[in-house]
Amino acid sequence: MEDLMKDRIEQLVDYIMKWCLWQFHSRTWDRKRQNEGILTKTTQLLCKEPVEHETPEDKCYWVDAVVLAGSFKSTYPWLSTLDNEEIKRLMQGLKDRIDFLTITGSLNQELTDPNY
Amino acid sequence: MPYHEFECSKCIPERKMHAVIKGPGEDLSMALPLGYLNTIPGTISERGCAYCGAKHVIGTPMKDVIHMSHGPIGCTYDTWQTKRYISDNDNFQIKYTFATDMKEKHVIFGAESQLKQSIIDAFKAFPKIKRMSIYQTCASALIGDDIDAVAREVMEEMPDVDIFVCNSPGFGGPSQSGGHHKINIAWINQKVGTIEPKITSQYVINYVGEYNIQGDAEVMVDYFRRMGIQVLSTFTGNSTYDDLRGMHRAHLNVLECARSAEYICNELRKRYGIPRLDIDGCGFKPLSDSLLKVGMFFGLEKETQALIDEEIARWKPELDWYAKRLKGVKVCLWPGGSKLWHWAHTIHDEMGVEVVSVYSKFGHQGDFEKGISRCEEGALAIDDPNELEAIEAMKTLKPDVIFTGVRPGEVAKKLGVQYLNAHAYHNGPYKGFEGWVRFARDIYNAVYSPIHQLAGLDISKDEISVDQGFSTRRMISDVNLSEEEANTSGERPYSGDYDCVTKLRGKTYPIPLAKQDEVLSGAV
Repeated sequence: MEDLMKDRIEQLVDYIMKWCLWQFHSRTWDRKRQNEGILTKTTQLLCKEPVEHETPEDKCYWVDAVVLAGSFKSTYPWLSTLDNEEIKRLMQGLKDRIDFLTITGSLNQELTDPNY
Repeated sequence: MPYHEFECSKCIPERKMHAVIKGPGEDLSMALPLGYLNTIPGTISERGCAYCGAKHVIGTPMKDVIHMSHGPIGCTYDTWQTKRYISDNDNFQIKYTFATDMKEKHVIFGAESQLKQSIIDAFKAFPKIKRMSIYQTCASALIGDDIDAVAREVMEEMPDVDIFVCNSPGFGGPSQSGGHHKINIAWINQKVGTIEPKITSQYVINYVGEYNIQGDAEVMVDYFRRMGIQVLSTFTGNSTYDDLRGMHRAHLNVLECARSAEYICNELRKRYGIPRLDIDGCGFKPLSDSLLKVGMFFGLEKETQALIDEEIARWKPELDWYAKRLKGVKVCLWPGGSKLWHWAHTIHDEMGVEVVSVYSKFGHQGDFEKGISRCEEGALAIDDPNELEAIEAMKTLKPDVIFTGVRPGEVAKKLGVQYLNAHAYHNGPYKGFEGWVRFARDIYNAVYSPIHQLAGLDISKDEISVDQGFSTRRMISDVNLSEEEANTSGERPYSGDYDCVTKLRGKTYPIPLAKQDEVLSGAV
């Protein structure tokens, strides 16, 4: 079961790393903000929960999340077999992995530069 | 992901940390090339300098500006006309280049008076041009000329002119990328917010990090306008100086080349609260997703989807014609910064091309994170390669074609490898749906050029076939296609115009913008 979850998370990671740019902002604080903002909204969309997009910042996360959620659904049919609890666990695992690859496990030495 | 050591660079062991092979099942936490560091002594870098990065890449595409280098004549000459960032005002910014022509006596006695006289002379020679950018060079920086003070003095004496000063000498960073950074920050500090732009829409963007190479920006701006969006400025291709002073009034910054222009987007977000949306303008899927995101931001999904459907219906059959013939073509993707990752996945996905290597002379580690993520397993990623390393890579990887700049491109030709100009393009624009087909057409023409086949033969020793008088690209490219594959109904080679940009100029967008004007004026 755990292997299946891990395999599915890796499929989603591959999609993001190949087709998205938002996870690669240039500083740690930006990457944290981007990963949190977009993946939280993507989870809400996949779970058919309300998503805030009133402020310009939220709206910007939301458009990335809408396209990502749509791509996930069309690329990975198994997503439709999951209930909301399973989707949330899956997406938390995805966020942990993306955070690792782009922030905590990243070898990019510029991430901690205090200036833009 | 193991680091890769070139045979030719074994005598420079530090180079090993600058190249990585993407292995099966490996990820970015295992290895990443070093990047954006000072060039290692002993390796002959092909990088540009920070002055070039500021002036040639970012400053000069501004179209209604006298671009003046405060330095020796060679600095301005060597950053003149090699990038085709065209404009709709008869290419003023490409036609002319200006320098203060510093000599030894100026180094000894100072060149401020020479600078002031040059500024006045240039404005007098082009009386219709009222805007100027002055670029510091190594020579003027080292002697400490106060360019800002001279510019202020001239602006007081000539109140109808405005001058921007960019202090980014050649030594101001490891590569041209240092200059990108400096001019971004200088522009927002000195000029953004000094003019109030005319807002004609409820939907206003800056299109940032786009330099209108052979019309790329004009193609994309046409899309945005068709969606009903006002493009306040393009940073900096085909933009006016004053458009860029009004960047602070946009609702969204749409960022194309994050390598050269993320700095100003980040600052606009911090100072003015304008969000940053990174997009891909290359490839049908990435471009469609990108346009949809911008459309959704403003509630224009319907208009955007209609545009995407129309463009794909028109151009997809032509992309398919090339994709069939490009499948399996091996390419070294060796461009500047952003095309490394804008192209890596989508040329593979949409044209079937195999990317065997990515490199950048000035990319940062962030660019390699994106590029390595997007290319397939086995690809060799190299930071700041020297010429010998590039030659070794070509000999071992045996690519069919290289996408790179003029200098390494000419070296590739000597090795019998075709190259496409990834910086200034061969027959661009390459952005947009039609542009993507033009790019596929140029790859096809490079790979299957009959002269390229002949150029690889040495008449002094190779056997020359005499049973065939001539060959064409089709005869070479279609050898492995069945009759049915080669003649699939509906598929065709590129059928657009030689010049697909000029017709966009002066085009009107009456319906959506007119509606918005009514909304803005309160008539609706």
